Order: sequence, then C-alpha cells, then structure tokens
Amino acid sequence: MVSPVERTDAQVVRDVLAGDRDAYRLLVRRYGDVLYGHALRMAGSQDDAADLVQRALVQGFQKLRTCRDTDRVGAWLFRILANLCKDHIRSPRRSDISLSALEGLLRGRSDPASDAEGAEVRSRVWGALDALTPEQREAFVLKHVEGRSYEEIAAVMDLSVASLKMRVHRARQALRGLLEEYA
Amino acid sequence: MTDELNRYLDGEVAADSLAAATLADAEAWNRMVESFRTSAPRAEAPVWLEQKVMGEIEALPRRGMLASAVEWLLNPTRVRVSPLAATLVVAAFAVVLLLPQNTPEGARRASGVAPAAGGGVEQVVYVQFVLEAPGATSVSLAGDFSDWEASVTLADQNQDGLWTARVPIRPGIYGYMFLIDGTEWKTDPRADRYQDDGFGNRNAVLAVAASE
Repeated sequence: MVSPVERTDAQVVRDVLAGDRDAYRLLVRRYGDVLYGHALRMAGSQDDAADLVQRALVQGFQKLRTCRDTDRVGAWLFRILANLCKDHIRSPRRSDISLSALEGLLRGRSDPASDAEGAEVRSRVWGALDALTPEQREAFVLKHVEGRSYEEIAAVMDLSVASLKMRVHRARQALRGLLEEYA
Repeated sequence: MTDELNRYLDGEVAADSLAAATLADAEAWNRMVESFRTSAPRAEAPVWLEQKVMGEIEALPRRGMLASAVEWLLNPTRVRVSPLAATLVVAAFAVVLLLPQNTPEGARRASGVAPAAGGGVEQVVYVQFVLEAPGATSVSLAGDFSDWEASVTLADQNQDGLWTARVPIRPGIYGYMFLIDGTEWKTDPRADRYQDDGFGNRNAVLAVAASE
C-alpha cells in the first residue's frame, strides 16, 4: 500500500481526477512554498503573492484534466502562476507596494548594523527591477535570483532558449546602471 | 553590455578568457547578481494559504450524476467485442449510413461553431471556431479532440477582437474550451450545449456530424 506521502504527483493527479478532492492538498503542500517564493519575488507584496498563489492553485485544480505530463504537475502549476504574476504586474490594480518595500522580508536581518548599511543598497537593487518589463523581470529573477538553468526555464515557460536568453540580455542591459554600485 | 560579457554571464565562456576590461565588468556583475541572490525574500507560504485554497476548492460545485454520465459518454472506454458482434455493429452502421439524409445545412450550424466543408477518407469536417475577445493577446483552443492540449491557435486577422480558427475534426461529440492569454479558460458563450466538467466549470459541447 502506498501512503499519502509516498504518492507521486501523477498518482495524486489521478486520485483528484477520480473525485478525491482532498488529495489536491498534497500538491498544495509540495509546491506552495516554491510558488509563493516566486510570486513574492515577482509581485513584491505578501498579500499579492498569497492571492496570486491561491488563484493559481485553484485554477490548477479546475483545469487539472488538461495537464498532460502529470509527473511534472509542479512545473505546470508554476506556469499558471507565472502567467498570473505577469498579468498582475501589468494590472493597474496592482498594490502600490513595490519590490523595494521588501526590506522586512530580506535576509541578513540578524546584524542590525549591516542591516542599516545594506538596506539602502538592497532597496535600490530590488527597486530597479520595477523598471523591467514583466517578461524581463520574470526571466531575470528565474535565471539570476532563483538560479535556474536556461533549459529548465525554457521548458517551464514554453519558450525557446534563444528567446529566453534575449530577454535576460535585455534585462541586464536595463539594469546596467546599477553596476556602478558594485564596480 | 557586450556579447562577450553576456556569454560569460550565461556560462558559455570562462573568466580567464575575458579581456581585462570585460573581466572588471564581469566581476562587478557577479557581485550585483550575488546581491540579488542573498537579498531575495525566502519567505515560506503562509500557513493559512493551504486552508484558503482547499476551502475554495471544496466550495466548488461537485459533479452530479448527470454530469458523470455525460462525461462517461464523451470519454472513450476500451471494451472487448467478439468478431461476430463487431461484424453485426459494422453492418448496422452501414445500413444507417446508406439511408438518405435530408438534414438542412442550417440545422448543422452551431452558434459560434460552424461546420464549413468536409471530405477525405477519414471524413474530417472543418469547423470554424469563433470567440469575441477584445483585448486578448492570444487565444487558443483545447478539447477532447486535442486531448485537452491547447494546441490550436486562433487568429485575430482583422484586429477587431474576433478570434477565429478553422479546425479539421473527425465526426463525434467533443467538449472544448478557449484559453485566453494562456491563463484564462473561457467557455464558448455561443455553444449549443454545455457539460459540467466536475471542477466548477462548464465545457462547451460540439457535435460534429459526418459530411455527406
């Protein structure tokens, strides 16, 4: 017998489609943190990030039968979220809180002195992402902040590696003004 | 940004192959990227998120017996048939197909879904799908006929928000939906019939008759 924690993604999807709605909870637990982390880095607000992840997971449930590669349902959910994040960034209803307002969430808070010193730099670094298009920001965050390979990002985003590289290159070009801070 | 620097940042060339000026820029970029990485938020999903998601899912309408029956009818099921039974079924179909049919063209036209022409050995019927979606940047189509892969792309040829596609489909009954901008599933508002998909949405249902 396979216990719930040992169920593969494909098995969980099959159970949900067979009517076991509660099995979807396993996918929420498996991918909630990854999805939330990406939404937070893209949206810049905890409330917006939670709302985006909630919408992505509910949409994922509603359209689960359209997921063809059920072994990679996590990547499929990520794609739903990524599209919602880009729409959110374009939306005029977006929260006024920008990425530069993430200071309270940023790492390295254990040293108050270094906090004070680094807060302004971090604020400028993350605030600079606001100047990028949603597609450029997504590509830059996935490549340089989340450290994913081009091949992995291209597969998740359904893009060619060449198109993806072009987005990252343009994002770097747009961020080159920040380089003076680190020269 | 030089090509050389981009290639280095993409991991395609090593630092020791860079020119001195590019190397200085590369090191500055490495420090900046590291700054992004170390300062990135690592927050975990709030504990209440799971309950909110599952609560919303539980509130979605459950599939009724009728919808289950419709789904059973629409989804293929593998059955074993003896050669004698198969022969009788084929003979019965042959008799039905040979009977004269006088169905007027208008009766076969579904609102928003219009069979246009047919032909070929496999009796493929071309179906015109139409969706009004002003403001959309892309519209695609998924259904039983594509194994629910949104592989059919509609075009807004006149830039007036009217998205169309002409799709070859074999005769049969299919559920389908439109996908707007890759994220928003939209039920065809002009379909003749609908079915509950059991997950809180309604799929449009398309009946494609064999061409004459």
